[in-house]
Amino acid sequence: MRLDPRYTWVRQLAAFAALLAVWEAAGRVNMLNPMYAPSPSRVAAALIDLFSDGRIWPHLEATFSAALGGLALGIAVGIVLGVVAALVPFIAELLEPVMTVLNAIPRVILAPLFVIWLGIGLASKIALSFILVAVLIFFTVFTGIRQVDRRLVERVITLGGDRWSLVRHVYLPSVASWVLGNLKIAVGFAFTGACVGEFVAATQGLGYLLSFAQSTYNAALMFALILLILVVVLIIFGIAGRLEKHLLRWN
Amino acid sequence: MGDGSFVSLVGPSGSGKSSLLRAVIGLQQPLSGTVETDLARSQVGILFQDDALLPWKTARDNVALGLTFNGMGREKALAEADAWLERLDLAGFGDRFPRRLSGGQRKRVALAQVLAMKPRLILMDEPFASLDAIVRARIVKDVVALVEREKISVLLVTHDLEEAISLSDEVYLLSQGPRARITERYSVPIPRPRDPVHSRTHPAFAPLYKQLWTDLSREVDHRAEAA
Repeated sequence: MRLDPRYTWVRQLAAFAALLAVWEAAGRVNMLNPMYAPSPSRVAAALIDLFSDGRIWPHLEATFSAALGGLALGIAVGIVLGVVAALVPFIAELLEPVMTVLNAIPRVILAPLFVIWLGIGLASKIALSFILVAVLIFFTVFTGIRQVDRRLVERVITLGGDRWSLVRHVYLPSVASWVLGNLKIAVGFAFTGACVGEFVAATQGLGYLLSFAQSTYNAALMFALILLILVVVLIIFGIAGRLEKHLLRWN
Repeated sequence: MGDGSFVSLVGPSGSGKSSLLRAVIGLQQPLSGTVETDLARSQVGILFQDDALLPWKTARDNVALGLTFNGMGREKALAEADAWLERLDLAGFGDRFPRRLSGGQRKRVALAQVLAMKPRLILMDEPFASLDAIVRARIVKDVVALVEREKISVLLVTHDLEEAISLSDEVYLLSQGPRARITERYSVPIPRPRDPVHSRTHPAFAPLYKQLWTDLSREVDHRAEAA
C-alpha cells in the first residue's frame, strides 16, 4: 500500500482517535482502574472543571511569568556573557569551565538551592528557568561568534567597512540567527525550569498543581494538567517557530 | 602595473599567489618588503574564489553595502546597486537572498559588488574556479568586456594557463615557494578588445601556452629535485 504523504495528518489523527476510543471503552467496562488510568472523558471533565471555576488562571499566570521571565533574562544574560567571553580571552578563561560544568549537570538539581536562597515565590522559579536558558544561550553565542565566517569578515573589510560595520552587518546577524535557531529549545527549557521549580516548592503554578494532584492521587487532574502544559508549550513553540521563520527567511 | 592592464600570476601551489593579493589589499602583512601603490584603499577591489555574500542580505543590499561604507546615502546606493545588477544580467534578482541564486548568479552579484565601487584595480583570486564551463565562459567574457571598457586594471591569480593567456596582457610566473619570486614575464600579443574564447585560436596562443607550460613544469620539477 502506498501512503499519500499529503494525508499523513489524517492517518495520525485517526489512529489517535482510535486509541482514545479504545481507552474510553476500556474505562467504561472497568478494565482500567481510574485511579491510575482515568478514561479520556474523566480527563476532559477535570480539564473543564479547572477552567469553569476560573481557578486555573492564577496558576497559568504564575507559570507563564516564571517561564517568560526566565527566558527573557536567560537570553539577555546569555548573549551578554557569550559576547564578552568571545571578545575578552581572560573572561572566556574564567567563564568557560563554569559554563561547561553547568552545561554538563542536569541544572534542575539546583531547584532546592534556589528555594532556600530565594524563597518559594516566583523568584526561585525564574532563577531556575534563567539558569537553564542562560547556559544554553551562552554557548550558542560564544561558539557562534568564534566561528563567524572569516570570509564574510574579510569581504566587509575589503569593501571598506569599519569595526562597527562588522558588528552590524556580520556579527549581529550571525548571533541573531544562532539564538533564533535555538529559540524553541530555550522555550522548552524555560517551561521546564518553571514547572520543576513549582513542583519542588510553591503555592501556585501548573507545577504546583501537578504536585498537588500527585499528593492527592488525582490521576485525572494530573492528565488534565499534562495536557494543558503540552498545549501551552506547543502554542509558544508555534509563535517561536513563526518568529524564527520570519527573521531567518534568508536561510 | 600600468593603467588598465590585465596581469595574471601563475605558479605552483604554495608559491604565495593568494598571499600576495591579500597583502596588496591589506588583509595580511607581507613577511618582508612593502606594497607600493598610488591607489586609495577604496579604488582596489577583490574578488575571492568564494562569493562571500552576506547571506542575510538581498542581492541588492549586498551590492549597495560597499557604497554605503564609503559614505553614499542608502537610497542612492540602492539605485546604483540596481543599475549594476542590470548591467550584469541580474535585473529582477535584486530582492533574492544569495541562497536563492545559482552559483553563476552569486558570482555576478559579487562582481557587481566590486564594480559598483568604481575600482581602478581589481584583484582576482581564482574567482571562476568553482563555476561550470559554460557559466564560466560567459562570466569571463562579461568581465573582460567590462574591464576593457572601464579601463580597470586586473591582477588575476590562477592555476589555469589557458585562462591566464586568453585574458591577460602580461603573465608573470612565480617560482616554487617558500621564498617564491617572479621568474619570468610573458607579454601576450593578442590584440584588444578580446573575446576570451576566440583568443585561444589566435596564432600567438599555442606557442605561448607551450612555453608557459614548459617553464611552469620546470619550476615544479625543480622543487621536486630539491626536496
